[in-house]
Amino acid sequence: MKIDKIGAIILKVCLVIGGLIMFLPFFWLMLSTFKTSREITSVPTTFFPRGWTIENYVDIFKSFNIARYFLNSVFLATVKTAIGIYTSLLCGYVLAKFEFKGKKIIFSMILFTMMVPYLIMVIPLYQMINTVNLIDSYWAIILPTLYSSFGIFMMKQYMTSGIPNELIDAARIDGAREFTIFLKIAVPLSVNMISALSIFLFLWNWEDFLWPYLVLNTKDKMPLAVALNMFSGQNTVNYGGLFAAAAVTILPVLIIYLFFQKRFVEGVSMSGIK
Amino acid sequence: MIKKLRYHLIDDQKKFIVFVAMFGLIVFNIIFFFIPLGYGIIGSFSNWNPLQNTMEFTGIDNYIAILQSSLFKISLKNTFVFSGSLIILRTGLGLVIAAGLYSLKRHDGILRSLYFLPVIMPIVAVSMVWEWVYHPRVGLLNMLLAAFGFAGKNWLMDKTLAMPAVIVMTAWKDIGYAVVIFMAALMNIPRNLYEAASIDGANQYKCFRHITIPMLKPTIIFIVITSLISYFQSFVQIFVMTEGGPGTATYVISYMIYNEAFENYRFGYASALSVILFIIILIITVIQLKVLSRGGES
Repeated sequence: MKIDKIGAIILKVCLVIGGLIMFLPFFWLMLSTFKTSREITSVPTTFFPRGWTIENYVDIFKSFNIARYFLNSVFLATVKTAIGIYTSLLCGYVLAKFEFKGKKIIFSMILFTMMVPYLIMVIPLYQMINTVNLIDSYWAIILPTLYSSFGIFMMKQYMTSGIPNELIDAARIDGAREFTIFLKIAVPLSVNMISALSIFLFLWNWEDFLWPYLVLNTKDKMPLAVALNMFSGQNTVNYGGLFAAAAVTILPVLIIYLFFQKRFVEGVSMSGIK
Repeated sequence: MIKKLRYHLIDDQKKFIVFVAMFGLIVFNIIFFFIPLGYGIIGSFSNWNPLQNTMEFTGIDNYIAILQSSLFKISLKNTFVFSGSLIILRTGLGLVIAAGLYSLKRHDGILRSLYFLPVIMPIVAVSMVWEWVYHPRVGLLNMLLAAFGFAGKNWLMDKTLAMPAVIVMTAWKDIGYAVVIFMAALMNIPRNLYEAASIDGANQYKCFRHITIPMLKPTIIFIVITSLISYFQSFVQIFVMTEGGPGTATYVISYMIYNEAFENYRFGYASALSVILFIIILIITVIQLKVLSRGGES
């Protein structure tokens, strides 16, 4: 009995220490954004800022134009997420609630696309985008993600049991049109799934790096993740600015996560249960 | 009569919504999945250079060149070391931490969040932050080591340390995902299984070994397979932190594909590399599925 109790305390202590280690690099980053570049690079190093300053944040707005990249990322991630959610809902609903020829093949196709590594598509897609002259255009970034296999799969799994057939049939008897049933019944009943998937898609779009890095040339069009990498390539001295820019890249998704934490964790959990 | 007409209308509407949804999906997948896939496979048998605008059929020359390349062998080895260690770390530590968190009397949301936080951070920013964590002069890690009286190291510039350093950073970022999924799976295990076992005199370890692990098997398989597919393609942390270096210490296949395609513009060669990577992933996935799903029956 006593050993059990001591064991439980040791376990808890270990878990708390582990959790703090997980948090430490981010905490250190945030503290460092409030140090001057000189303090960051001076030895001996400090953990807490000696004198707090917001100079780094002011600096990246003025000299790095971070607001521009930030808005680019907000625009791209929002548009891509909205489209992805809509197509996932529609295809998921149709695959969950209708019987038609070729349904099984289409569903297998979705599973197959999830298993093929994206690296194999990058080169030919780049060549195709180049051929149709879409290099350096946002179309090149938006078009390849109009549909999300992952999203369709999750929506289909959820809607099969999450939306009662009786409800759909009752609406049909009342004379509702199929698209109305989809918009007025299926979509509202999937709100939890929609918020989970939105966060997923938004995150992926926000952190998307390789593809925008390859297809965009104009500096002013770059999303934050790509601009951040460019900024770090140009700067070997302005550590304070780099720290602040990294923080600005991380914070929005962190804030979104903290707001939707519960639903997001539910969504992650659901993605693992097949 | 009206009823019949109405059914007919509903039927048409049904056909319409199915058509709209599936037509778009199929056209999309043809353009953005099947054509690129076929294009890439054909390209892998060609001398394909976008700068010279050439794409001539060369048979299996690219594949032969790859198999003879010593850089490929090094990359392959590094890819296996990277992915293998991470699959073990993510699954093992993820399971241990999840079981630990789950066994706490009060399910601590804050603690779980701490483990989960890195998962949602953009990989580019995280890679840059860890580059500074590993910085030899002003980095967090050496600062902590110094506080405990240890000598610092030049983590990312040392041939033997660079790969472990990148692996640790990736594990830090990804473990939380496994923790959350394992916790969800743990909550789905019926409580009465444990009650029955403890009446029979089973201790905690035995319960874990003979109830928890078998019940979690589908989840373990899920984590291992999805980790495998993503780690074999990990790119950003290598690109940002080490560029395959020092020397070839962290040169992995995904980085080799990027480098051949978009630095050397050897699209054909790089396509052949990606086809090989795909085949390797496929083979290992099938083997793992067989091994993992057989383990439980014995």
